Amino acid sequence: MAEQRRHFSAADIPGFGLTAMAVFVALYLPIVTLVVYSFNASASVAEWGGLSLDWYRKAAGNAEVLNATANSLIIASLAALFSTTLATLAALGTTRRAPFRGMTAVYAAINQPLMVPEIVTAVALLVVTAALKQATGYTGLGYLVMAHTAFCIPFAYLPIRARLEGMDLSFETAAADLYASDWQVFRHVTLPLLLPGILAGAMLAFVTSLDDVVITEFIKSPGQDTLPTYMLGQLRRAMTPDVNAISSMLMGVTILMLFAFFLLTRKKA
Amino acid sequence: MKKTIAAIALLLGSTGIASAEGELFLYNWGNYTSPDLIKKFEEKYDVKVTITDFDSNDTALAKIEAGGAGFDLAVPSAGFVGIYAEKGLIQKLDHARLPNIKNIAPEWVDVAWDKGREYSIPWQWGSTGVSVNTKDYSGDINTSSIFMDPPAELQGKINVIPEMGDVMALATMWAGGDVCSEDPEVMKKVRDALMAAKPKWMSMDYSTVEKMTNHDYAATVDWNGSGLRSRLANPDVKWGFPKEGYGLWMDNVVLLSDAKNVDNAYLFMDFIMDPENAAMLSAFARYANGISGSEAFMPADMKDAPELVPPAEFANLGQFVTVCTGKALEYQNAIWTELQK
Repeated sequence: MAEQRRHFSAADIPGFGLTAMAVFVALYLPIVTLVVYSFNASASVAEWGGLSLDWYRKAAGNAEVLNATANSLIIASLAALFSTTLATLAALGTTRRAPFRGMTAVYAAINQPLMVPEIVTAVALLVVTAALKQATGYTGLGYLVMAHTAFCIPFAYLPIRARLEGMDLSFETAAADLYASDWQVFRHVTLPLLLPGILAGAMLAFVTSLDDVVITEFIKSPGQDTLPTYMLGQLRRAMTPDVNAISSMLMGVTILMLFAFFLLTRKKA
Repeated sequence: MKKTIAAIALLLGSTGIASAEGELFLYNWGNYTSPDLIKKFEEKYDVKVTITDFDSNDTALAKIEAGGAGFDLAVPSAGFVGIYAEKGLIQKLDHARLPNIKNIAPEWVDVAWDKGREYSIPWQWGSTGVSVNTKDYSGDINTSSIFMDPPAELQGKINVIPEMGDVMALATMWAGGDVCSEDPEVMKKVRDALMAAKPKWMSMDYSTVEKMTNHDYAATVDWNGSGLRSRLANPDVKWGFPKEGYGLWMDNVVLLSDAKNVDNAYLFMDFIMDPENAAMLSAFARYANGISGSEAFMPADMKDAPELVPPAEFANLGQFVTVCTGKALEYQNAIWTELQK
């Protein structure tokens, strides 16, 4: 029995290859279509009229698109930076110590944005930010960065914690045995080993922030449209292929990041 | 690290303290504001205009109601102007500061949602009707029977946009009721006719312009702006204003109570009621604007567009499509759900 189980492979299930293929096609065909049509010369989103870069030119020449892109990248970068820093601290605090009372409650609190429906968070944030905007007169990107940081924390936290739990404590114990201070242990042992987890967390946080519509729509101040809220605004009216072009570029950024992440982690691992 | 923090602080601060003179914040539907018009306004008055998009009347209302949203002007649909006024979110307009208000076409002055234009001025308006390829069908197209009781030539080649409010309004008027009818007899007729017609339809889809242009559809329920674009791409396509009654909508500019740039807001409202500028709005959004005299400045392909303004004999047959409530909404939901099966 044990023998059999060790040799069991999901690939042996009848129809595995076919199912896998079907899933990949369903996942990627729409995306491939979108990218292909972003190079369409015709003004239609669904009719092919030859190869052209016009929609990229049009998108690049559109001040609203450029502004939305800048907003998206600024918010996503800052939210990823802040949320990953906080998530790293939280992960260290919940794994590298003896379990304490209320630990489960802490987990639940950290992962709250995953559990609470986004619209609830959005409405709650709308009420708070509206009051803050009126009280302080400040209407900058800070609110969006703060909100994005908050809901990105669990996305950064989970991979970091998973990495920490998989890391053997003996390296850190050994370093401590050799009179390394707590900071030296962290700086020279824990952090380098943890780096792939931190990078993965930061990437997830970045992409999650880049993708957000509901919360952003509710708390953005004037002129703070991000790419997703800008694109959503187009839908009620005639959609033109420059939306395809913007989506393709957005995806390009994600793929580049994924690629960079693979290169980085391969070297470290 | 210090440098980074300073840069971040600068970045976050920059948009916050920029409430200097010469600004205007407009909150509007996405892809609805002519960039050329904004540029012209900015150059003429040296005012920087910031446009922010919303995607539904409800989101816009929620944000403005929460307060501190920071907008000066918003562009809600007809049915929402009254709600804004009731909640005190918009201020009464000082007509003395809007000399161009005299340009509003007479039929758009005493509108149901804002008698005498106390609170709002027109942005764009349009209608819901039918678009028909006249190669397939040469009969009368000014009727909702095109989709409620399809002629043999069109059967199996008809599309209906999946918009409950607009479609139910057309169907109810076709059955002899008013938009938001609560009359069980009328609604029974609507339900039976829709169920009988559905097998004769091809699809319920939004991509009408492409498919009418390519002749994938022979007819569709549509908005007149899309009907116009279909006809420009394929001259066989014609627009019909259903004689049983067609749907109407209008988006209106309102001045928010907590607007900070009131002077610039007045300048802008007056500016877009200048016929030449109103025509620029229409040239971009592809709908009519409710300003007399703007026809002269419309782009050539819109000047005499039969889709934009109903012919005199149909002028009074339009009804505003509103979000129904109570019994009427219950009927609509039930019929619409059954229709989707």
